Amino acid sequence: MNKLMISCLIALLLVPALYGQELMGEDIVQKVNDLFNVESGYAKAKMTIVTTSGQKRTFIYDSWSKNKGEKNLVRYLEPRRVKGQATLMLNNADDIWMYFPRTQRVRKLASHAKKQKMQGSDFSYEDMGSGDAFINDFSPKRLKDEKMEGYDCYKLELTRKPDSDVSYSRLIMWVIKENFVPVVIDYYDEDDPTLQEKRLVESDIRVIDDIPTAMKVVMYNKNDNTQTELELLEVKYNITLEDSMFTERGLKK
Amino acid sequence: MKKWLPVLVFFSLSLSVYSGQDSVELFGYFESQAMGADIKNEFLLLYSNKLRVDLKTSLSEKVTFAANFDYITFHGKTDWNILDFLPSDVTAEVPAGTESFYMLPFSDRHFLDNAYLKLSFKHFDLTVGKQQISLGTGYVWNPTDVFNIKELFDPTYEQPGHNALRLDVPLGSMYTLTTLFAPEDTWKDSAKLIQLKGRISHFDYSLIGIEKVWRFHDYTQFDFENMNFLELPGKRQLLGASTAGELLGLGVWAEYAYNWMENSEDFYELVVGTDYTFNFQTYMMIEYYRNTLGKTDYEHYNLNDWMRMIALEQKAISRDQVYVFIQHPATDLMSVGISTIYSISDNSLALVPTLNYSFSDNVEIFAYLNFNIGKEGKVFAKNMGNGGMIRARVYF
Repeated sequence: MNKLMISCLIALLLVPALYGQELMGEDIVQKVNDLFNVESGYAKAKMTIVTTSGQKRTFIYDSWSKNKGEKNLVRYLEPRRVKGQATLMLNNADDIWMYFPRTQRVRKLASHAKKQKMQGSDFSYEDMGSGDAFINDFSPKRLKDEKMEGYDCYKLELTRKPDSDVSYSRLIMWVIKENFVPVVIDYYDEDDPTLQEKRLVESDIRVIDDIPTAMKVVMYNKNDNTQTELELLEVKYNITLEDSMFTERGLKK
Repeated sequence: MKKWLPVLVFFSLSLSVYSGQDSVELFGYFESQAMGADIKNEFLLLYSNKLRVDLKTSLSEKVTFAANFDYITFHGKTDWNILDFLPSDVTAEVPAGTESFYMLPFSDRHFLDNAYLKLSFKHFDLTVGKQQISLGTGYVWNPTDVFNIKELFDPTYEQPGHNALRLDVPLGSMYTLTTLFAPEDTWKDSAKLIQLKGRISHFDYSLIGIEKVWRFHDYTQFDFENMNFLELPGKRQLLGASTAGELLGLGVWAEYAYNWMENSEDFYELVVGTDYTFNFQTYMMIEYYRNTLGKTDYEHYNLNDWMRMIALEQKAISRDQVYVFIQHPATDLMSVGISTIYSISDNSLALVPTLNYSFSDNVEIFAYLNFNIGKEGKVFAKNMGNGGMIRARVYF
């Protein structure tokens, strides 16, 4: 009996310590990455840009992804100005093509295009952790856990790897313990790691097809005093998508 | 105009009816544009209004029909005397009594620009009718594109439709074989094209062969019977290749075409380009272009060279040129840029500051100024006219 009690006591003492060591920064980032890169999915999203002068620009687009984000296709539906424009990203966004319906021209873009703003918004393609960017471009370090936006969160610092060309020197990420949704991400200037450039806040988290999904994402640009809101209008996961969709032929459809 | 009015009304009404159906899309744009140029100490202005109406319908998953109708009106200085732009030694070549034919008229136009049917089968797509043909990887110049010549100061403007029958056959997920037939009076004179596009590693490649009659003119001889300059049609056979990809973090592309000419000397064209987006969002592009039809000494430019370039029959009259473009998003809604076209062969330069402004979701404004810095007789000579353009476009 005494032995059992001692074992239980040791176990009780060890569990919190083990739990604390259970997830390293790398593990948490991997889980965030896995959450972003579902096997396959479709989303219809509305992106609203609010400028410094308070003007709004709204875009609606369809997006499809396959092979855990290895293949991506985005096609704009609104406004009329960009309707039909489409972007195909393969090999975790290492290969990018854009289709311009007005000229019926497909242009191959180098990966530096990921630094460009999406339709002038506060999002660049790399902000969204396209492909495995969080893993490939940053070294994670777990900081002291914190409460953020009402959730118990893991707090991580992601520092740019020396060989990476990503536009931020570091990220601070608050990841909800319960579901690994990164509820807040702070982006810091590429040259000055103390200067915060942007903050991304995820909200309205719903479980869709067993996958926790933030239906609303807002990017606040601290430098320009602007913000861009991304609202998911429709989401489907684990759907069947033909490979032919992720080709130049599919891009031009 | 009067006889076209009922057609337009019918067209609009038909489209309105069609647009009521879910599967038919009716869209397009209206643009109003003003261009100005300082010619011989006078600032000349040309205004234009363009209405483009597009119709697109997917009759089924496999059948798409698309068409667009353009209506363009011109106002202001609608007759430009080309001789005003040319150096005196070149204008001396103009045959006596034909001076009045060297005009660049801007007349109101309305036409069916594109109208095609696309049939998508499991293993191929067949497109029949008037359609845009976009070839090559170059941004400003496309050596493999014998169907279009881009405007130097506005290279992304849409190109006109060409009557053609096009077959695209995907070969796996990485390759596409394209054949195209653009009919003329006879099979022999019709344009034929075959292209193989593919991907190796992070590079796209294409090989292309084209045969087409090139209809350029001799601008030193006027054909009074046809009331036009003498046409000199000659068969052009082209073999070319292009690529685009990434090297050391830079976007890179290249395009090459060798041309065998039936009635004139053979020539080749080459484009090499690179681009990069800096972390501070500035985008930069450099493109080099060589055309061996162009000349290395500007004193050898003759009347035919100039006229063929102005009439968009020939892409360049100077052999080597470089295009540099830098653009930066000044605000969320506005991008400013500057493009420079430098003629290496004659050491002249055009500076073109540009501005893109998103006025609202569906209204955009584009403007540029152009300053030519070069001695008289060079490609970008001051007497070609410094000026600019402003265009407002609303999409519907």
